[in-house]
Amino acid sequence: MTLLVDFAAWLGTTSLSALVTGHDWLVPAIQVVHILAVAAVLIASLHIHLRALSILERDVAQGEVAARFLPILWGALGVLASTGILLIASEPTRAIFRSIFWIKLALASAASLGTWAQGPLALRFNTGGVAVAPAQRLLAVATLLVWLAVIYAGRWIAYADAWAGAPA
Amino acid sequence: MSLQTLAQWLSETPLALELADSNWLFGTVEALHVAALSVVIGSIALVDLRLIGVGPARGSAQEVLERLVPFTLGGFAFALASGSVLLFANPIGYSENFWFAAKFSLLALAGINALVFHLFAQRKLAEPVSVIPRISGAVSLTLWLGIVIAGRWIGYTL
Repeated sequence: MTLLVDFAAWLGTTSLSALVTGHDWLVPAIQVVHILAVAAVLIASLHIHLRALSILERDVAQGEVAARFLPILWGALGVLASTGILLIASEPTRAIFRSIFWIKLALASAASLGTWAQGPLALRFNTGGVAVAPAQRLLAVATLLVWLAVIYAGRWIAYADAWAGAPA
Repeated sequence: MSLQTLAQWLSETPLALELADSNWLFGTVEALHVAALSVVIGSIALVDLRLIGVGPARGSAQEVLERLVPFTLGGFAFALASGSVLLFANPIGYSENFWFAAKFSLLALAGINALVFHLFAQRKLAEPVSVIPRISGAVSLTLWLGIVIAGRWIGYTL
C-alpha cells in the first residue's frame, strides 16, 4: 500500500490535480463525460452480444457487427480511462484505497475481453455468418452481466469503506 | 395538494425511511438507474446520429428506429421506475432543486420533440434530401445531453 500512498500524495501535488480541484463545475462535468462513455460501452457491447444471441441485427454477419462496434468500445474505454484518471486526480485518497475500485477495473477488463472474444469465437466455430455457437450465447449472457456488475461496482466506490490505514 | 405537501408526505413513507437508513438500497437503485439510462442514452444517440446521417447503426433511419426503439422504451421504463424510488430518498430536497426541475423540463421537451418527429418528421425519412429528420436528431441529442448534465448536477446541489 506504501506505493499507492506515495502515488496519491504525488498525484495531489500535480498541476492536473490543481486544475480539476480548481473549479467546482469541473468534476461533475468530467462525470457527465464518464457516464456518456459508459452509455457508449454498453450500447456497443449490447450490439455485439445481442447479435450473438440472435436478438439484434440477426441478418448481419457477426464479424461485421463487431467491426462496427468494437472501435466504439475501445474509444469509449479510452475516454473512461482518461476521465477516470482526472476523477482520481480530483480526490487522490478516494477510489484507489477501496477494494471495490480494483474489483471494478478487473471486471471491466474481463468484460472488455469477453466482448472482444465474440469475433474470434465466431471464426473459431465457423459461425461468422448467421449461425451462433452455444459457447457464444453463454459468453454473451455472462459478459453482459459482468458489464452490469462494473456499473454496480463503480457506483459502490461512493459507499465503500477505505482500507484501514489509508490516507484520509 | 401542493408540491411541498406531496414531498412532505413522500418523505414520511416507509420506503423513504428505508432509503434514508440504507446506503445499500440507495446505491443499488442508483446503479440500476445508471445502467438503465445508459441504455436509453446509447440507443437514442444511435438513432439520432443515424437521422443526422452518421454513426455505426446499419440500415435506413426507419429500420434503425424500429430496431432500437424497444431498447429506448425498455430502458426508459427501468430508469423511470428506479428514478421514482430514488425520489423517495429526499423528496423535499428534490422538490426544491433547480436542476431537478431543469431535468424534468428537458425530459418534457425531449418527449415533445419525439412526438413532433413521430407526427411530422418521420414521413420525411423517405425523402433523402429532407433536412427535417436531421434537425430532429440534433435537437434530441442536445436535449439528452442536457438531461444527463442536469441529472448529474442534482447530486451536487441537493
